[in-house]
Amino acid sequence: MRRAAVVVALALVTSACSSTFGFPEGGTQQGRDIRELWTVFVLAAIAVAGVVYALIAWSLLRYRRRRGEDPDALGRQFHANVPLEVAYTAIPVAIVVALFSASLLTERRVTALDPDPATTVEATAFAWGWRFVYPEEQIEIVSPPSRPGEPGPELVLPLGEPTRVVLRSQDVIHAFWVPAFNFKRDAIPGRTTSFDLTPTHLGRFRGVCAEFCGLNHAVMTFTVRVVEPEAFEAWAREAAG
Amino acid sequence: MSARGAVGWLTTTDHKRIGILYCLTAFGFFLVGGALAGLIRAELASPGQQVVAIGTYNELFTIHGTVMIFLFLAPFGAGLINYLVPLQIGAPDMAFPRLNAASYWTYASGGLLVLLSSFATAGTGAAMGWYAYPPLSGPRFSPGVGVDLWIGGIALVAISSLLTGVNVLTTVFLMRAPGMTMWRLPVFTWNAVVTVVLGLLAFPPAVAAFALLFLDRRLGGSAFDPAGGGDPIVYQHLFWFLGHPEVYILILPFFGVITEVIPVFSRKPLFGYPGFVLATLAIGALSIGVWAHHMFTTGAVDNPFFSAMTFTIAVPTGVKFFNWIGTMWGGRIRWSAAPMMFAIAFLLNFLIGGVTGIMLAAPPLDYHLNDSYFLVSHFHYTMMGGGAFGVFAAIYFWFPKMTGRMLSERVGRLVAVGMFVGFNLTFWPQFVVGLRGMPRRVPDYPPGIGFDAPNLVSTLGVVVMSLAVLLFVWDWWRSLRRGPSASDDPWGGDSLEWTTSSPPPEHNFSTLPAIRSHRPAFDQRHPELVR
Ligand code: HEM
Ligand SMILES: [Cu+2]
Ligand SMILES: [Cu+2]
Repeated sequence: MRRAAVVVALALVTSACSSTFGFPEGGTQQGRDIRELWTVFVLAAIAVAGVVYALIAWSLLRYRRRRGEDPDALGRQFHANVPLEVAYTAIPVAIVVALFSASLLTERRVTALDPDPATTVEATAFAWGWRFVYPEEQIEIVSPPSRPGEPGPELVLPLGEPTRVVLRSQDVIHAFWVPAFNFKRDAIPGRTTSFDLTPTHLGRFRGVCAEFCGLNHAVMTFTVRVVEPEAFEAWAREAAG
Repeated sequence: MSARGAVGWLTTTDHKRIGILYCLTAFGFFLVGGALAGLIRAELASPGQQVVAIGTYNELFTIHGTVMIFLFLAPFGAGLINYLVPLQIGAPDMAFPRLNAASYWTYASGGLLVLLSSFATAGTGAAMGWYAYPPLSGPRFSPGVGVDLWIGGIALVAISSLLTGVNVLTTVFLMRAPGMTMWRLPVFTWNAVVTVVLGLLAFPPAVAAFALLFLDRRLGGSAFDPAGGGDPIVYQHLFWFLGHPEVYILILPFFGVITEVIPVFSRKPLFGYPGFVLATLAIGALSIGVWAHHMFTTGAVDNPFFSAMTFTIAVPTGVKFFNWIGTMWGGRIRWSAAPMMFAIAFLLNFLIGGVTGIMLAAPPLDYHLNDSYFLVSHFHYTMMGGGAFGVFAAIYFWFPKMTGRMLSERVGRLVAVGMFVGFNLTFWPQFVVGLRGMPRRVPDYPPGIGFDAPNLVSTLGVVVMSLAVLLFVWDWWRSLRRGPSASDDPWGGDSLEWTTSSPPPEHNFSTLPAIRSHRPAFDQRHPELVR
């Protein structure tokens, strides 16, 4: 009996530690970093919510009015407990400081720009599609008009190397989001913004527009294809030629 | 003598009647917004476009969000504030009764304009989302008259809230009964004070933003259009300077509600009253400084600063949870009473809204979660799971005072359980699809990528929730005319409204008890316990 309970508990703990709690694993270095931060936050949330729910459940069960009890009977009329109040203010402060620090460190890493990216893509969003330009390789890829079931243009990235994305918008606000990379950035008319993607997984990934931009917002999709660096070179030569 | 019948209600300046008008109108908007949400969920039940056209879908979520925020939850809070504040401080009415009537009618006309902005504009309705970001809401991309009506409507609602703010502050500062010091104010009234102060601070910049947007749209301005040298980011700052405090304007009155309900049904005083009041003030102060956490993904704001401010606001909110738990601790809790059941559901739901809020406060996590269904679920856990459950707690708690009749306790329990189950069925799956990459504001999604099952469950949850709400409406209608009559103090309440008749006479009190603590009604029943 007890041994079974221990086994179940261990299984739960190990699966919890290897689980991403619903978050995509992260197909880029930056995305992995973000997912690791998520795990910290989820574990903290489970701990905090667990304690608070347990306290609520205990008060409700232990201090419920029993059947047949005098309906006017009072509870103990205490008003305050200063040391306790100091503690339940100080402990959340400590938790929050720790979480904020973790978040700040991750943010520095995932928004850092590599001084020497392997390649650069100028991505421009418009209603309703995307244009990807590789200035060094002299490649331009433009969206066919967005339609349901139409995957949109393909953004090709080399594996394991940082690609600089320079994002702009031509009309209204859009957002570049690759859920498998755990990352999005708004494309705002009149502004330019940059970020790096360093893919860690080969394959095709779904990209969507995440900021509502009018009628066809829902179908303003694109695809990201991550290939080996040599394959990227070959693709670039062919696409440019 | 006040006039009778419908004319009496339409011309009233009595704060109780105005409060009830606010609550009824707001609840009507809840039903409208809920019906729109039902259509949204029907469309999303399975992949493909079945129920509405894309353009209609965009109008649906725009108007659902606008109605729920500006026309349901905030005005329901304003209705409770109107009804309760003078009673709780022992005043005969608000300081400016006619201004009060003007606030209500301004709000009602604003609400009408907002409804017209999408239902009466034949294909040119407002379809830009509830925060109306330019350039999408500007003249080039939303040429129709819908956005103009929307701007007019929201501006009226904003003005109404400013008028109410002035009125409530004057009332609380100048009209408290002898003995009612600020440190004896009932907690609902404290929350009301902070709510209206936030409104006074936050609405003017938003009205400025709407005015500039209107100039851009109709008079050739270009404040927010980069093509003419403007900047859409400026709009976002002005809007969220309102928009974030607004969510506290929505929730604080209902923090107040459950903080009245929990002590009464635990047969205890509120644990840590001064700490609770300080936490409320801290939330008010901090909420003015967090607005740009809605803009982490723009790359145009100082993320660490706004992230730090947002983390900080979790502390006073956490403190409140311990106030509530400390109040129940050692009590004799009657948790089968309908108001208490809704208050408990509030605690359970709001905690999820809170911990997911902490996740969104971390910019790196927001880079994935922002504008996904995770975010949609997060704010429904606070505004529906917290706010709307607070509305029901308030209705069950004060209905006897307002009408002199009781709602059915048995039906109330059923409504509470049904809403709780339906709510969690609806919104828990939305966390899952959000994490998997489903963006908000889409009428459709591709099949087979993990979105199908959670979306179906979510829609079924709405069916459960709707049945519970309809059951409530039926019981409300029935009890209004035939419910058992209520005593002056059916629950054993703490604050002054329970010492007068149900419903209270026109000028509220014929005599007031001595006020020696923040629980004058309790002290009157238990003179032996007065400290
Ligand atoms: C009655 C149950 C409710 C259901 C089933 C529901 C459902 C939804 C859904 C599915 C969306 C997302 C639409 C989309 O992004 O395409 C949404 C958006 C929204 N809801 Fe609700 N909702 C409910 C109640 C509420 C309440 C009580 C509030 C606030 C007091 C609220 C405020 C909002 C807001 C602000 C939006 C965002 C609108 C926008 O994107 O512009 N909802 N709701
Ligand atoms: Cu879009
Ligand atoms: Cu906010």
